[in-house]
Amino acid sequence: MMACHFLRALFRIQQTSTSSSSSGRSRRIRRAAYASMAYSAGTRRAWSRALLRKLRSRARLRFPRRLSRAATPQRRDMDQAQVLRKLVPGGPSMDDCKLLEETADYIRCLTTQVRLMQTVMDSISS
Amino acid sequence: MDPPSLMPRLPDMCRFPMLGMPPPELAPRVGRIGGDASVEESTVTEQCGGSKGRWRRRDPPSSGGATEAESSKLVSTSSGNELAEAEAKHLKAIKSTDGNDNIKSEAEASSGICNKLAAQNPQTTEPPKQDYIHVRARRGQATDSHSLAERARRDKISERMKILQDLVPGCNKVIGKASVLDEIINYIQALQRQVEFLSMKLEAVNSPMNTTIEVFPSKDFSSQRYDTTSSLAYSSQTWEYEQGSGTEWLHMQVGGAFERVT
Repeated sequence: MMACHFLRALFRIQQTSTSSSSSGRSRRIRRAAYASMAYSAGTRRAWSRALLRKLRSRARLRFPRRLSRAATPQRRDMDQAQVLRKLVPGGPSMDDCKLLEETADYIRCLTTQVRLMQTVMDSISS
Repeated sequence: MDPPSLMPRLPDMCRFPMLGMPPPELAPRVGRIGGDASVEESTVTEQCGGSKGRWRRRDPPSSGGATEAESSKLVSTSSGNELAEAEAKHLKAIKSTDGNDNIKSEAEASSGICNKLAAQNPQTTEPPKQDYIHVRARRGQATDSHSLAERARRDKISERMKILQDLVPGCNKVIGKASVLDEIINYIQALQRQVEFLSMKLEAVNSPMNTTIEVFPSKDFSSQRYDTTSSLAYSSQTWEYEQGSGTEWLHMQVGGAFERVT
């Protein structure tokens, strides 16, 4: 499901947007990757619901840029929960229990998506 | 407490056994009240004695701060329902603090809140009572509903943390909740960055792909590439036509193409 959605989107991007800039295309591919993740998870997960809502409202997918690495060890538990809330889509409106559950599912989906993209990458470039 | 001051309370005390109070010696009295109205006087006197015993038990000053707070609350409350609830909490507090001195202060602190809650909504105090029965507390753990709920929540969170630790590679060796969360955050960031990087790379590979077939006229290379792209295009088209059943076939097709290429 995820693979098929992503490949379809990839092919459409490749067909249609030959004239657009490379950064716009890479953004579209990234967007397609997240969209395929959200579609494959469906609406039963809070993070996929948040992602789908964000995609439908045509807002730009914005994920937080890399946080300062030097400050990580000193950060405490509560701050880390806040950071995690920012990383997981739809996180700010969850309680702690829900957040951890959704994080687990999100990580699972993200890993699958990365593996899928790597497979596509290998198959194309080899 | 002298008996004259107890007398105006007696109508309240009469309702006492109706509320499902645990003492077993009161149970037959309830039956008698329901069965025959003429015996009611004797039951009232008996209950007077029982309540006197209760009041007397509260009298000794060695019973601690919680009992004093309870008795003051009991004096202030007027309805029999609230009285019964307070009494139940009181008995439970005594039971729970019997052996463990270390949790006494916690139970005392929370029993006041419990009393207030019980006074606010007497109907909803039944489920916590069920919790007392079903959830067993180990020695040294508090037994009131708030800390029970808190403990259940903590158990849930640690269970989820364990699942997450299994998911994130290299996270099993890390000890401490903070460092585990740190690992999880780093892992998610790495994955998101990887998605970004791969999409950039896919874009870079995708755009010259149509031209590479002409640029590199190596026979098998280009044919394999052409196979891959055509199978992808074909499968995506068919998926649009037959959305329900086409997915497995698509996976097979894509997997076969990948195997052929690599």
